[in-house]
Parts: sequence; C-alpha cells; structure tokens
Amino acid sequence: MATNGALHALLLLSDSALPLGSFAFSSGLESFLAHHKHNSASHRLQAFDHFLEHSVANIASTAIPYVVSGYHNPDSLEELDNDFDASTPCTVARRASISQGKALLAIWDRALRSSLSPSSSPESQRAGAALTAFSAALKTSKPDALGLQMNAHFPSLFGAVCCALSLPEHEATYLFLLNHAKTLLSAAVRASVLGPYQSQAVLASARLQGWIEASIASTAGGIGGKGGIAVEDAAVTVPPMDLWMGRHELLYSRIFNS
Amino acid sequence: MSSTFASPPSTPGNGIIHLALLPPNTPRLKTVKYQYPLKLISPGPLRTADEPYHSVHTVYLLTYGGGLVAGDTIDLHIILEQATRLVLLTQGSTKLFKSPSRDIISKQNTVVDLALGSALCFLPDPIQPFEKACFEQRQIYNLAVDEDAEGVSGTGSLCVLDWVCNGRPANGENWSFLRYGSKNEIYLCPVNGKRRLLLRDSLLLDDEGADGSVVTRMDGLGVYGTLILYGSVFRSLGQFFMDEFSVMPRIGGRKWDSGSEDGEEDVDEAAMKRAVRQRQELADGLLWSVASVRGCVVVKFGAKEVEGGRKWLRTMLIDEGSVWRELGERALLCLR
Repeated sequence: MATNGALHALLLLSDSALPLGSFAFSSGLESFLAHHKHNSASHRLQAFDHFLEHSVANIASTAIPYVVSGYHNPDSLEELDNDFDASTPCTVARRASISQGKALLAIWDRALRSSLSPSSSPESQRAGAALTAFSAALKTSKPDALGLQMNAHFPSLFGAVCCALSLPEHEATYLFLLNHAKTLLSAAVRASVLGPYQSQAVLASARLQGWIEASIASTAGGIGGKGGIAVEDAAVTVPPMDLWMGRHELLYSRIFNS
Repeated sequence: MSSTFASPPSTPGNGIIHLALLPPNTPRLKTVKYQYPLKLISPGPLRTADEPYHSVHTVYLLTYGGGLVAGDTIDLHIILEQATRLVLLTQGSTKLFKSPSRDIISKQNTVVDLALGSALCFLPDPIQPFEKACFEQRQIYNLAVDEDAEGVSGTGSLCVLDWVCNGRPANGENWSFLRYGSKNEIYLCPVNGKRRLLLRDSLLLDDEGADGSVVTRMDGLGVYGTLILYGSVFRSLGQFFMDEFSVMPRIGGRKWDSGSEDGEEDVDEAAMKRAVRQRQELADGLLWSVASVRGCVVVKFGAKEVEGGRKWLRTMLIDEGSVWRELGERALLCLR
C-alpha cells in the first residue's frame, strides 16, 4: 500500500502539467545560446548536449544538499530557506527558485496536503506539518531585525514535499534532477535547438540517466544521505553558469524568465 | 610587535592580525604574529585624502616560496576593532604546488571579525593552481551587529575579491589541478543572538578523477572571480556596478551607434569611460554580471586571461573612485 502511495506521488510530481510554472525557465540556456555563435544546427545541438550535462551537475551540487536536508529535517525549513537564499547570489536564479518554491507551496496547500491521512508515516506527518507551518509563516512574513526575510526557495521545499508524500529519498533526488532536465529540454525545443522527438531521445538516453545518477552519487551520497554533501558544502561546480544566468537580464529579446 | 606575556602555542601556518583602536581614535596594529609558511608584513599606516583622521593600515599576506606546498595549512585570524580600516594585499599570485595525491589537500582558512564601523579591503592577486594541485580555502567574515540600531546600520564594511586562474598557460597548464575549492561566508553576529548566514559564495572545481574535466566546465575562461561588497563604505561602489550593468549593451541587439563617432549629442565623461571599458571587455573576452542580494553586491566575472580581468577590475574601481578615496591608493596595488 505504501509503495502504491509512493508511486502515485511520484507520478504526480513528475507530471509536466504540475502547475509549477517551470515552462517559464531555461536555467541559463537561452543566455548560453545567445553568448555562443553556432554555425550549424549540429554544432548547436552538440553545444546543448554539453550544456545539459553541466547544468545537471551544477544544479545537483548547488541544490541537492538542500533537497536531501529538506527531506530529512523539515523542521529546519526556515533555516534552510535562509541559507539557500544566502547561497544564491544571482538575481535570475533566485527569481526562478522562489517562483517555483511559492508555486509548490500553493500546490501543497490547495491540493497535496489533503492526501495526508492519519495512517501516513510519522515522517510524512512531520514533513506535512512543517510545510503547512512554513506556508502560514510565509504569508505573514516580514523582514526580521537583521532585514532578512523568508523567501520559499524551491529545493528544500521540494525535499519536504517528497517526504510528506512518502517518496523514498533516492526517488526524490532523481525526480528533482530529471525534472530539471525536462525543463531544459522543453526550453531547448521551444528555442529551436532540437525537435520534440530528438528531445525525447535525449530524455530516454542512458547518458542522461548516467549524468543524473553520477550527480546524485557525488552530492546526495548513498541511501539515507550518508556520505552526501552537507548544505554548507553545496557549491557551484560550473562557474560560467552563474555568468550566463546573471547575464540573462542583458538579452535583447527573451522568451524565458531565466 | 606584540608584547603579550602568554603567547599562544605556535602552530605552523597560524597568524593573527589585531587592529586595535586606541582612544580616542587612533588605530594601531596591536598584534601581527605569524608562523612559517605564513609571513605578514605591515608597512606604516597611510592617511587617506579626504578623511585625515582615518589612518588605514596595510598588511601583506606572504608565503615562503610565494605559495603553498602540498599539505601546507594556513590559519589566519584577523580582528578589526571599531572604526578601524585594514587593507590586505599579496605580492604576486598565490601559487599552489603539485600534490602527490588527492588526499593531501593544502588549506587556507581566514576568519575576520569586523567590529562596528570597521572596514576591510582585500583585493589580492589571483590564486594560481599548478598542475595536480589540491587546495581548499575558506574565508569567514563575522560582522558585529548593533542591537540598538535600526536593522544593520553601523556594521562593518567589506570589499573582498576571490579569484582563481587556470595555472601556468605557458607551461601548457589549463585548469589542470586536481581540486580547487573556495568558500566565502559572511555572518551577521548580534551581540546577544545567534549568528545568521548573510551570504555564502562557494566554488568547487574537482576533476573527479578524470584528467582535464575541469577545463571543459570553464568555457574558454582563463580566470574567474567574485567580488563581494558590503556596508556603508562600499555602498556607492556597489551601486556603480549595478548601474553600469544595467546600461550594458543588449546581447543580440543591433548596435545602431557603431561606426559613427561624430554624434552631436552630449557625451559625458562617464559615458566615454564606459565606451572605452566596454571595447576593452570585448577584446579581453570579459564577461561579468552583478546581483544585489541581502544588502550585498556580488560581482562575478571571467576573462580569457588574468590581465584582462585585472585591467577590468582596476578600471571599474578607479572610474568609481571610492576605494581610492576611502582606503588610499595602496588598496589597489595588486590590480596594477
């Protein structure tokens, strides 16, 4: 029964129709393309392939520790939120993370929350209660004495939602990275880098699976978060990513928000 | 320099810089201590042009051999008392020598405690990791916060640069080290409360066992850096970076003005400097971006070569002028 519940939650959270607004973001892809002149379509496709690999690695090294920590310590969501905000000194990346985090909280409040039942595991109950409390606190949040404010960043909230819906940890991290790859591929299709079938082929490929598994292994560690990276050691591993993301603001024409 | 009776046990690589304030307002270097391989040199203080009562102290951070050999560890603690100002400099890039294995990591830890109204300006030469170097550094800046003041007014100010280059390109090195990690953290420390993380900027480049895997992540850059600005002393500089970024030419837009230099419109001095700088940015393959978050201004930049990055930073800092005014010409020595 529990596995069925987890499967159901997995399918819900992996649905591209989940109203997170992810379609609005390209995670620096649009800016990356604008910074590089590609002579031919195949050249462009190759560059995208490269970008996808690095983007998955970079989102893993910066965000997966927060997903895992939100999953295991939902009671410290506020602190995780502060620390992730402090660790994201890029206006564009910050905007994307907050917008998706707020959307996820709204989905939690209006929809997913009702799926928690008294028969759910204590961990699920705890994560659910923490999410509901976080959402309530966010609504009345004001800058504190130090001028800092709650923001609702996506990664730690995603971890907590996965825990509340009884998804195993590995599935939660895998889903987080796969969703990121799907968002990038969908952006790439709309930016005419590749066609819909090519995009599916990349999604289905063993290479993408390999990148995701390798990223999980190097950031989340083994099962139970053992050997994983602590949130204070989350780091940017592809530095130009920050430049492309930041410079998205400078594009003459834009179809995405990031 | 110090005459404390009980000197702490000397550990290799440890250092202390304590800049005290003698009443009523004379800053004095109370302690400058160091152990091999670290070496600290402090020339006499300078007075800045516009605030004669503000003498600025300078300390050079040096290492024997100009860098760190595998396994070296440096621990530096810097204490800035109220209203003092310190300029930290290096003499040439910090070389990171080859490590026999990835288990032997050289480390550099710096903790700076900034009292109210103090200021630190740390614009060093870049870190230069040689082939197979293995290195991690962490800089922690603790800013004291006045509980009685509104928000965070009166806290110390920071202008710190952290940059790394691809090694010795002349020897064929191009991001060929094993591991390079650098972390900058700023904490707000209320007297009677828990310290809060204000900013964390963390970079990790590890080849993960695959030779030459770092260079593929650098997209042709030869140097990459982060400049962090915080506090009242560097507010106008931060605003300058924000303003300059907002008037950058749009990427992918037509350059309608190109080719015609005979415009009759008023071209002010700032616009002329900007035009010169932007041409130079293009020539040096310099890319930069800036964000103003949580009261900090964080500038990220990359260039094909160290000189391009250095030139750009120097031009930006000199065009704006406040570092020179507030901390003296010496603060910019490493960018010369």
